[in-house]
Amino acid sequence: MLKYIIKRLLAGVLTMVVLITVAFFMMHAMPGGPFSPSEEKNVPKQVLERIAASYGLDQPVWKQYLNYWKNLLRGDLGISYKTIGTVNEKIAGHFPYSARVGGLAVIFSLLVGIPMGLIAALHRGKAADMATLALATIGISVPVFVLSLLLGYLFSYKLKWLPTYGLDSWACYILPVVCLSFNPIAYIARQTRSSMLEALEQDYIRTARAKGVSELMVVAKHALKNALTPVITYLGPLVAGLLTGSFIVESRFAIPGLGYYFVRSISDRDYTMIMGIVIFFGLFVVICNLVSDILLAIVDPRVKLENE
Amino acid sequence: MNLLEVKNLNTSFHIGVGTVHAVRGISFHVAQGESVGIVGESGSGKSVTMLSVTGLLPDYAEVSADTIRFDGRELTKLSRKEVRALHGSEIGMIFQDPMTSLNPLFTVENQLTEPLKLHRRMDKRAARARALELLRQVDIPNPEARLKQYPHELSGGLRQRVMIAMAIACEPKMIIADEPTTALDVTIQAQILELLQTLKRESNASIIMITHDMGVIASMCSRILVMYGGAVCEQGDVREIFYGAKHPYTWGLLNSIPKVHQKRGEKLVPIVGTPPDMLQPPAGCPFSPRCRYCMPVCRAYMPPVTALSDTHSVACHLMHPKAPKIGRED
Amino acid sequence: MSVNVPDRDAYAALPPEMFVIGTDDSHAEDIPRPSTTYWHDVWQRFRRDKLAIVGLAVIVIMTALCIVMPMVSPHTYDGADYLNMNAGPSWQHPCGTDQLGRDQFIRIMYGARISLTIGFVAAAINFAIGVLYGGLAGYLGGRVDMVLMRIVDILSSLPSLLYIVLIMLIFGSNMGSVILALCFTSWIGTARVVRSEVMVLKHSEYVLASRLAGAGTWHLLIQHLIPNAMGPIIVSTAFLIPNAIFSEAFLSFLGIGIQAPKASWGSLANAAIPVMQMFPHLMFFPVIAICVTMFSFNFIGDGLRDALDPRLKK
Repeated sequence: MLKYIIKRLLAGVLTMVVLITVAFFMMHAMPGGPFSPSEEKNVPKQVLERIAASYGLDQPVWKQYLNYWKNLLRGDLGISYKTIGTVNEKIAGHFPYSARVGGLAVIFSLLVGIPMGLIAALHRGKAADMATLALATIGISVPVFVLSLLLGYLFSYKLKWLPTYGLDSWACYILPVVCLSFNPIAYIARQTRSSMLEALEQDYIRTARAKGVSELMVVAKHALKNALTPVITYLGPLVAGLLTGSFIVESRFAIPGLGYYFVRSISDRDYTMIMGIVIFFGLFVVICNLVSDILLAIVDPRVKLENE
Repeated sequence: MNLLEVKNLNTSFHIGVGTVHAVRGISFHVAQGESVGIVGESGSGKSVTMLSVTGLLPDYAEVSADTIRFDGRELTKLSRKEVRALHGSEIGMIFQDPMTSLNPLFTVENQLTEPLKLHRRMDKRAARARALELLRQVDIPNPEARLKQYPHELSGGLRQRVMIAMAIACEPKMIIADEPTTALDVTIQAQILELLQTLKRESNASIIMITHDMGVIASMCSRILVMYGGAVCEQGDVREIFYGAKHPYTWGLLNSIPKVHQKRGEKLVPIVGTPPDMLQPPAGCPFSPRCRYCMPVCRAYMPPVTALSDTHSVACHLMHPKAPKIGRED
Repeated sequence: MSVNVPDRDAYAALPPEMFVIGTDDSHAEDIPRPSTTYWHDVWQRFRRDKLAIVGLAVIVIMTALCIVMPMVSPHTYDGADYLNMNAGPSWQHPCGTDQLGRDQFIRIMYGARISLTIGFVAAAINFAIGVLYGGLAGYLGGRVDMVLMRIVDILSSLPSLLYIVLIMLIFGSNMGSVILALCFTSWIGTARVVRSEVMVLKHSEYVLASRLAGAGTWHLLIQHLIPNAMGPIIVSTAFLIPNAIFSEAFLSFLGIGIQAPKASWGSLANAAIPVMQMFPHLMFFPVIAICVTMFSFNFIGDGLRDALDPRLKK
């Protein structure tokens, strides 16, 4: 087990190194730096050069790269170019909003998606199954920005039931959480359904029945554990994606989370902010993947073996 | 006293393109303590027959029978729950592929103690002690360590031993072994057969052995049912089948066994052709398209069963008084 | 199922000619089943899937419309009709006009051109990269395979939107960079499928036979391995198209995809947000276009999957 975890951990570290390097050089390949004359037309050229020098931008790229690493290893993501404060402060300030909405969305997706998939699998070909499949197709085909537009239009403008922005009351959470979890619910339901159907066809299910295990226990013990392994694999990317905020949902519903802030830094060309958020996202994804890998190895003992 | 008695069993599967008639009007019995072999090619309906009898087929299968009597109880009249109470306690089952028949996500202990907790109401400790005893009984070395392991950590032979231990856990009255050695290496096959023979000697359980291997039957069973195309074409005790078979299909099966005294250059005789398509079973004898003695009557009618002795019966038109007298040729 | 057994008396009375060995129609090996080719079978199965056929029809019609309509329509995507600004649907403007009086229908048709082009081009490029990458990894195996697959693992462990946003920032907001961004990671799924298919096929007997006959690597890959792995490859490519369309709409919606005055479905929907309370038609029509297209492609993909590999049908 330890060997397996260390291996996964090393892979995660390698991923981060690649991401940081690629992101850094991409940032520097970008036409027009943050303080280039084309961006800030009203400021004299000399002043811009002075500002650039104060951020260390006049040094050769490789030196900047090493500097960036030096700061990064101390946990310092740098100073925002376009707003007041450090990148660390910004992330610490905005992440909690994303985490709250995203965390609710994760719980909601699992609580709805898994039972939906199970019910569909156990009533294969019947009305409940058809409804689940239809909903899953809708969930996969309707992009999240379309959904947020339509739901916002219906529930906020037309019916005036729910607020469209902010996080001031519990009602504010409903639309963003529903929009965020719509696609995951569809995916989880579809995945649970198909892996449950597959599990139920396995020989070991027949063995369990031949031992006289009740139908409920056949499903709840023998099939469910096998059916949920693909969902566990999906859990890593899901948690990472939802907790770090959705660009679309946060901007649509004016939630001051990381996703919203990321979009703003992109239009501001706030390079240190973009870098910082990309690295934070990356780290979060790597950690979530690691946790779901470990979880999978606990549930399915065969995984360790394949990876050794 | 017959432990199991089956009369006119029919099983069909409704699938997208039509209905597969897998078992067509089978009747047989198994006496207390007797071991019966059911032999036939893949697709002859031998596994489906036993799964139908025990009620382990999926819902889309349609099973009907005049009677399925097990140990004095009429299984066709029992509720699902009552039938389930027999599974694992009075009827133990061993399946073909030990690689896929054990649940990969649970330890040997978990799976082996399941029937004990279920039917014998044993607590964890008692079940564990019994599980150890069972593993010793099926000759698994170092049973304490094995209990904690997962199926993928065991070899095929060991897994099949675990399957057997599971089947005999509650000392069943009947053990059904569905091709228990087919998926194993030849040397392991011999060991598993030996184990089954030992178990048979030591207990009073009836054994139903499903196989396509006449050699396995010869070493294990006292009586044989030969199945073809979802029907029994010949049955009798081992002597009657091996030395006095009357059905051309049985001859074919016997001729495909290698013999110790096989002369150099003498070839094994295969049965030409493929088993019938059970979506559209032939109107007459299912074996007629492949039978070298096929007569017009064979195409038109299913042959009636002719009793040759108390134990030996055959379903073949060659038994008709007007038919030519054909003997088995080697 | 009644079994066709004659009753006792009738059986005894059967004429002797019924008991003569040898029948004229004894063909043990004949199995009366029409033989069909694989692709014929696939088409037959696909045709029976009504949703997939509807999806295919919608895409064909939409492709035809978005090619023809801008040629024959009196409106252009940036031509303003100042007399009819923010107008609702009418005979003159079937989907109404926007804040500048531009015809919404033609703009949606231009959006369709962009979406479909991006969808097809990105899918084609991803298909090519994926087949090549996965084919080589699977075929060469060993250390090459390990290195190639580790690269893929690293690329795929991060959300592709991060890369896409970075690429869009570097190369600017236009159709070319959208396609480039989409080709950065989308081929990974195809590559994995191809690799595992090739790994299985490489050990099959007909490939061994061909190799013994002296066939070279490229010949084997192109003649045997790729065609036989085609089913799963097509399925994974079919789902790349809606993904690409979705990503483009997403980027344009965020304002970093296709830029004004050009119209894409995503940017049209985005532009409608400020005015959607007063002029909801500006939002509805592009949104409907996106949804209909996404549904159609997903139906086609599902239909193809079921048709190409009936075993997968659940």
